[in-house]
Amino acid sequence: MPFRPGDEGVTVRFTRNEALVLADLAGELIELLEQRGPDATGDMLYAQLGIGGSSTPPLDPALARLLPDAYRDDESAASDHRRLTEQSLVDRKLANARRVLADLDAPVVVLDEPGIQSWLRTLTDLRLALAARLQIEDDGDTGLGDEDMLMIYDWLGYLQGSLVEVIE
Amino acid sequence: MSQTLESPRVELDEASAPDTPWVTIVWNDPVNLMTYVSWVFRSYFGHSREEADRLMLLVHTEGRAVVASGGREEMERHVEAMHDFGLWATLTREDS
Repeated sequence: MPFRPGDEGVTVRFTRNEALVLADLAGELIELLEQRGPDATGDMLYAQLGIGGSSTPPLDPALARLLPDAYRDDESAASDHRRLTEQSLVDRKLANARRVLADLDAPVVVLDEPGIQSWLRTLTDLRLALAARLQIEDDGDTGLGDEDMLMIYDWLGYLQGSLVEVIE
Repeated sequence: MSQTLESPRVELDEASAPDTPWVTIVWNDPVNLMTYVSWVFRSYFGHSREEADRLMLLVHTEGRAVVASGGREEMERHVEAMHDFGLWATLTREDS
């Protein structure tokens, strides 16, 4: 099991290659989320309060899955809710991904409670983004043929399963 | 989780009484691990393992499950928290 319980928290040791792959992925996730800045047409006061988000869902399918509508059949309510909450959701996802990226600098990653939360969420966000790229839409789907990407997707699932098991 | 089911028609009834409770719905997706979804239900809603597993399996087999009900603002907070966890959640009126 990659993640193990330890005295100071949950620990995990990655090979150099594994750490590089994870850091690349976290970096890409950060870039993706950073594209979703405050809406240029939004209210400046809202923007300063961190609630000046766009009122329409992202066009990029990966971003759209990371930042879904809160209302399924009420476009106006979904749009209002998104404008008021999306930026803080993006900021929290960014903070989690940056934490993961920073943790990967150490030869052995040691996770305290906030670290565990960041890692669980970022591993999830990475898999959601990859699944959107692979066009995995149903259970058991293997998506659109990129075997390397699919292997990484499965490996991230293995890592996440291991982390969930350790904290249970 | 299991195959995503055809989305049911959910209509908001404008004539609903204003105090009609709202519900938080978690939808099935092919990405999130069953163990993770169950852990989210336990850690966030404080459910027992039995209840969390029941809800997780409902999402898995039925394509969706109501995981909370109450006031609209509270349900909006739950939906936001689910999106933090990467789960696909929405809120709607209970009777819709």
